[in-house]
Amino acid sequence: MNNKFLLRFLGLVRANSGLVILFLVALPLSLLSADFLSGNNLLTVALQTSMIAIAAIGMTFALITGGVDLSVGSVAALTGVLAAGLATRNGLGTYPAIFISLFAAALIGALNGAMIAWGRIPPFVATLASMAAVRGLTLVYTQGKPISGLDEQFTFWATDAAGIPVPLFVLLFVAIITYIILHRSVFGSYIFAIGGGEETARLAGISPAKIKFGVYIISALAAGLTGLLLTARLWSAQPNSGTGLELDAIASSVLGGASLMGGAGSVTGAIIGTFIIGILANGLNLLEVPSYNQQVIKGLVFIVAVILDYVLKRRLKNNGS
Amino acid sequence: MTAPVEQLRSAPFTLNIFLKRFGLLLVYALLGLGLSLLSDRFLTGSNQINILRQATISGIVAIGMTLVILTAGIDLSVGSILALSAVITADLLKQGLPVFLAVLIALGIGALMGMVNGLMIARGKIPPFIATLGMLTVGRGLTLMYTQGKPFTGLPDTFRFLGTGSIGAIPMPIVIAAALFILVTVILTRTRFGEYIYLIGDNPVAARLAGINTNRMIVFVYMISGICSALAGLILIARLDSAQPVIGVGYEFSAIAAVVVGGTSFSGGEGTLFGTLLGTLLIETLSNGLNLLNVSQLWEQVIKGVVIALALLFYKAINRSSK
Repeated sequence: MNNKFLLRFLGLVRANSGLVILFLVALPLSLLSADFLSGNNLLTVALQTSMIAIAAIGMTFALITGGVDLSVGSVAALTGVLAAGLATRNGLGTYPAIFISLFAAALIGALNGAMIAWGRIPPFVATLASMAAVRGLTLVYTQGKPISGLDEQFTFWATDAAGIPVPLFVLLFVAIITYIILHRSVFGSYIFAIGGGEETARLAGISPAKIKFGVYIISALAAGLTGLLLTARLWSAQPNSGTGLELDAIASSVLGGASLMGGAGSVTGAIIGTFIIGILANGLNLLEVPSYNQQVIKGLVFIVAVILDYVLKRRLKNNGS
Repeated sequence: MTAPVEQLRSAPFTLNIFLKRFGLLLVYALLGLGLSLLSDRFLTGSNQINILRQATISGIVAIGMTLVILTAGIDLSVGSILALSAVITADLLKQGLPVFLAVLIALGIGALMGMVNGLMIARGKIPPFIATLGMLTVGRGLTLMYTQGKPFTGLPDTFRFLGTGSIGAIPMPIVIAAALFILVTVILTRTRFGEYIYLIGDNPVAARLAGINTNRMIVFVYMISGICSALAGLILIARLDSAQPVIGVGYEFSAIAAVVVGGTSFSGGEGTLFGTLLGTLLIETLSNGLNLLNVSQLWEQVIKGVVIALALLFYKAINRSSK
C-alpha cells in the first residue's frame, strides 16, 4: 500500500515535473535571500525571462515534431538588426520595420522548413547550416557594428506599462495564440501526431512535410519576436545578440517536459522551464555567487533535473502505471 | 524482368554510386581548381601546408565526433572539454610539471569527461544531445571558475614544440593529426571494435542481441571523443602560447559540420573517417580561398552555411534516387 502511494506520488511529480523543479529552485532561494521574493525583483526576473520564453515556446513546437531549431539565436539577431536598421537608417516607421523584419524571420523559417520537410535533411544539421548563414548575414548587414538610435515607439516594448513589463504582456499574447494552435487546433494535434510517429501520422492521412514546414515558420517567428524585444531592451541591435539562445531555449523546453524524441511538450511547460532557468540565474546573482561558478551550478541543475525526469519516467513505466 | 530493363535500371544507379563515393572528392578537386585559377598563391606549398595546419585542430575534434555520430549520438561538449583540459594543463605546465605528465593529465581529463558523458547516455539513458549539452555548460563553467576568466600564457618551449615544431618540413600538428587519423581509421575498418561501432549505429537492438556490450562501447566512444578534444586543445594552446578560458567555443558546431559534409549519416551506422577528412579540408580550403580572394570575413560564415546546406541536399538527392 505504501508502495502504491509512492507510485501515485511519483506519477504526480512526473506529470508536473516543471512546477516541482521550479518550486525546488525557488524555495531555497527565497529562504537564502530576502530580496528574492520582493515585487521589484520578481518583475526584473519576469522582464528578462519573458523575452526568452517566447523563443522557448517556438523551440517546443520544433521539439514536439522530433526536430530541433538551432537557428533561433541567429534569427533573433537578424530580426533585431533588420528592424533597427530599417527604422533608423531607412527611415521606415517602427511598425513597418518590425513587420518587414518579422517577415524576413518567417522566410528563414520557411527555408529551414523546406530543407527539413522536402529536402529531408535532419533538422539538427539543416538549422545548424542556417544558424551559421543567418549569423553571417547579420554580420554583413551590420558590418559587425551595433545599430542604435531607436525611437521611443520601439523601446516602449521593453519598458513598463502599469508597473508590469511590456514583454510579459507580449509573452501572454504569444502564449495564448500558441496554446490555441498547439493544444486546441487540428494543426496542433497533427504536430503531436508527427512527433509520436511519422509513419503512423502519414498513414492517418497527415502530410508531415506541410506540418513541419509550418512548425519551423512558427519557431522562426517566435525567435524573431525575442530578437525584437532584446533589441528594444538594449536600445540598440547588437550583431552578436542571441548567441547561445538556441541552447537556452532547448534547455527551457526540456525542463518544461518537452522530449527530444518528439511527441511531448507544451506551451506552459516551455514558459515554466524558462522561468526555472531565469529564477536560478537571478537567485545566484542575488546570493552574489561569482558568475564563473553560476554556469557550473546551472549546468548541474539542468543535468540533475533531466536525469530525475528520465528516472521517474522509467520507474513509472516499469511499474506499468 | 528482362535483361535490358535491368541494365537500364542499373545505369543511373552506377552514376549514383560513383557520386556517392567520389562526389566529395570531385567537389574538393573543383574547388581547388577554381581557387588555383583565381589566385596564384593558392597552390603554393606553403599555402597548402597552411591549410593543413589550420585543419588539424578541427580535424582532430572531428575524428572523435565521427565515431560518436556513427553510433547515432552527438557530442556537444567537445569545445568545453578542450577548454578545461587545456587550461588545467597550461596551469600545471606553468607550475613546472614535466611536459610528458601534463600531456597525460590533459588526455586523462578528456577521457574522464567523455566517460561521464558516456555513462549518462549509456547507463542513464539520457539522450546524447541533452547529456552533452549539460556537459557543455558545466565544462565551460568549470573552465571559467578554474581560470577566474584570465588566460594562462608563457608556456615552456618543450611543450610548445607540439604546436610550433616540425619534423623535417612537416609541422608537428600535421604529424600528430595524421598519426591519429591513421590509427582511428585502422581501428574503425580493421578491428572488431570498429565493426561494433557501425553495428550499434545501424541497429542497436541487433547489436545487443548479437552479444555486444553496447553500453561499454558507447562509453568508450565518448571517451575517445573526449581524448581527441583534449589533444586538439593541447596543440591549440601550444601554438597560441596561451590558454584562454573561452578557447574552443563553438567547436562542436564546426566539427559536426565537417563530419556531416563528409557524408556521415546523422542517423548513425553510415560514414567514413576519410569523408570527415575531406569535409574538414573542404571547409578549411574554402575559408583559405575566401581569404586569398579578399572576400570579407563577414561573408565567410554566410558562404559556409550555404555550402553545408548544399552538401546535405546533394547527399539526400543521391541517396534517394539510388533507393
